[in-house]
Amino acid sequence: MESESKRKKESPNTAELAVTASFPDEVLEIVLSLLTSHRDRSSVSLVCKDWYRAERWSRTQVFIGNCYSVSPEILTRRFPNIRSVTLKGKPRFSDFNLVPPNWGADIHAWLVAFAAKYPFLEELRLKRMAVSDESLEFLASNFPNFKLLSLLSCDGFSTDGLAAIATHCKNLTELDIQENGIEDSSGSWLSCFPESFTSLEVLNFANLTSEVNTDALERLVSRCKSLKVLKVNKSISLEQLQRLLVRAPQLEELGTGSFLQDLTARPYADLESAFNNCKNIHTLSGLWEAVPLYLPALYNSCANLTFLNLSYTALQSGEFAKLVVHCPRLRRLWILDTVEDKGLEAVGSNCPLLEELRVFPADPFDEEIIHGVTEEGFVAVSFGCRRLHYVLYFCRQMTNAAVATIVQNCPNFTHFRLCIMTPGLPDYLTNEPMDEAFGAVVKTCSKLQRLSVSGLLTDLTFEYIGKYAKNLETLSVAFAGRSDRGMQCVLEGCPKLRKLEIRDCPFGNEALLSGLEKYESMRSLWMSACNVTMNACRRLAKQMPRLNVEVMKEDGSDDSQADKVYIYRTVAGPRRDAPPSVLTL
Amino acid sequence: MELQLGLALPNHNNPSAGNGVGFKSRKDAANKRSFQEAFGNYKIRDELQMMPLLLWSGPPDEEDDDRKGQKKRNSCNNINKNEEEGEELVVGWPPIQSWRKKSLLHGQHPQQGQVGRRVSKFVKVKMEGVGIARKINLSLYNSFETLANSLIHMFATYQKSEKRGVRYTLTYQDKEGDWLIAGDVPWQTFIESVQRLEILRCGAVESRP
Repeated sequence: MESESKRKKESPNTAELAVTASFPDEVLEIVLSLLTSHRDRSSVSLVCKDWYRAERWSRTQVFIGNCYSVSPEILTRRFPNIRSVTLKGKPRFSDFNLVPPNWGADIHAWLVAFAAKYPFLEELRLKRMAVSDESLEFLASNFPNFKLLSLLSCDGFSTDGLAAIATHCKNLTELDIQENGIEDSSGSWLSCFPESFTSLEVLNFANLTSEVNTDALERLVSRCKSLKVLKVNKSISLEQLQRLLVRAPQLEELGTGSFLQDLTARPYADLESAFNNCKNIHTLSGLWEAVPLYLPALYNSCANLTFLNLSYTALQSGEFAKLVVHCPRLRRLWILDTVEDKGLEAVGSNCPLLEELRVFPADPFDEEIIHGVTEEGFVAVSFGCRRLHYVLYFCRQMTNAAVATIVQNCPNFTHFRLCIMTPGLPDYLTNEPMDEAFGAVVKTCSKLQRLSVSGLLTDLTFEYIGKYAKNLETLSVAFAGRSDRGMQCVLEGCPKLRKLEIRDCPFGNEALLSGLEKYESMRSLWMSACNVTMNACRRLAKQMPRLNVEVMKEDGSDDSQADKVYIYRTVAGPRRDAPPSVLTL
Repeated sequence: MELQLGLALPNHNNPSAGNGVGFKSRKDAANKRSFQEAFGNYKIRDELQMMPLLLWSGPPDEEDDDRKGQKKRNSCNNINKNEEEGEELVVGWPPIQSWRKKSLLHGQHPQQGQVGRRVSKFVKVKMEGVGIARKINLSLYNSFETLANSLIHMFATYQKSEKRGVRYTLTYQDKEGDWLIAGDVPWQTFIESVQRLEILRCGAVESRP
């Protein structure tokens, strides 16, 4: 490098030509193949034509955050050598039933294109896509090297589709079926793995409900010596779990089945010993219906735990506190609010390395106030866990002062998702809006990437966000704000904003139209139950041809109102597979 | 049994904070289409001062009917037609993913037909004069005494403001909807039929020996 720069100083032009001419494409491709971050690769491809070309030939993984932003044809034309695809489909609010059924995001057209252009495809990770059994069968039959299937929040398929995967994918290493709208007719799919099949490393069927054949599961676990991740479903009993653990002491991530069973002394001792024997477990989940009686069997295993997911287990504070004392290395913790503030105090006292905390509500829809967690628990955690940077917190009351204290203790938040469950609730001590709370968050946490706000909020919150949240990429807003100004502040002030999702806010056309150019630098905008009209959407669509403006109408609503609006940038033009309830403008 | 329960104030100074606003907002949000209509020209301090305490009368099962009646009046926003306990009043709020909601609901109901498994039984417990209900897992107890002790601990904070010597009775609602005094039937029978619990103040204040 030094000699090259010396040459440059002597005679710049000829030296530069010499440098570029002597750097063959193959070398460039090898260098670029070491780049894995898709953002780095995007930057690389923009440098010059040579680099664009080298990058496209060397890219093997592609991440598509919105499946409608590009088409299968455009993708396969640009990148000829893809082995791994990640695709995300529906808007996030579809998780909360805000998106009409049959909205789209069907994987099938993609699979057909991949079968032609990427026959050596190895990995497919899908989130919020519509996946049919037919698609799964197509996948299983057309990709002989297929290794990894991960489905998160997808819907449209049944256990029949899984049976096809198990039957035909001879090289499968990972089958990760998380949290999907799946028609779970039978557990017989698990028995479809052939006896000769031994390559599995990851198996997650925790959120399926049907019983699987436990003998088949035991045999599968026994012969897959590289199995590192096993997450079983509720139908697997403690005794069955013990037998599985004995056959897989190398496990690193475990999801137990039901943790409720009348165990006599001997089986309990066996269970404890089986857990003790699995010395590599760093992630634990499942634990459905855990009764405190059997939790001590886990205590020794907890010493090395970095991720504990108790979000399906209704533990009370006392029994949870006893467990968490054994988890000093915990980095990530997901729990239900049944542990209450006392449980969170125990977390603060015992988990100094904690980086991520998610507290889910056990009774979110009960009208009578059920005691959960309050601001006190959150504050207690912030005093004890100074490395906390990711939080998702559902609570029924909060104060501005508490949030200010929390971010003072933990200024490194990258993800701050606070859900005060009653819409429009003020600071319960002062009666004031929660503006200052979120103001404190954005002023103090300069690395903030993701923010979800709640409680009673005026436009001031959004002024703060626009002024201070310079690294913000994702913002979720519900039942907040006073006028268009709120939304405008965010659109004008947050340079890195990529996803904005808004529901039930008094933002209207002026706000929507103030973001015209901004939307092209964002992945998407969602606005529902706001004050946006069809005419404004039409104007937006007309002025910005590289955006797709889609409106979802509800039955019986006013014709001029745009009930739900979804706007996203795309190079693929308007989509042609929208159902009748979705209008593309 | 005619019960009149005032919505009790949480244990802090400001009486019209929190609960009142919360309930009004949520009901409006359920009935109306847009935020503007729900919260409209919401003046923070003025309206809060005027918020009346809510009064419920009648046994809890009438409250459930009120809730269902209210839902029938809702016209907008595809109110969830799910018949199970704990339905959302506003679609998609709080933002809990559908599969997680399903897990929560399944978790609360006793499993059927599984040999050799003790069944979790979560029931709601309320105390007269206290707005905050709790939920406990009855399968963790084996006698009225252990249950009562646990409840005393749980609700101890709400008794601080009471005069000494106030006595309470533990009552429960059985499968037929009748309210009975706990302790009259054997524990096993009680466990099988109890649906919810309520702690009531009984009679005049007595001085302790």
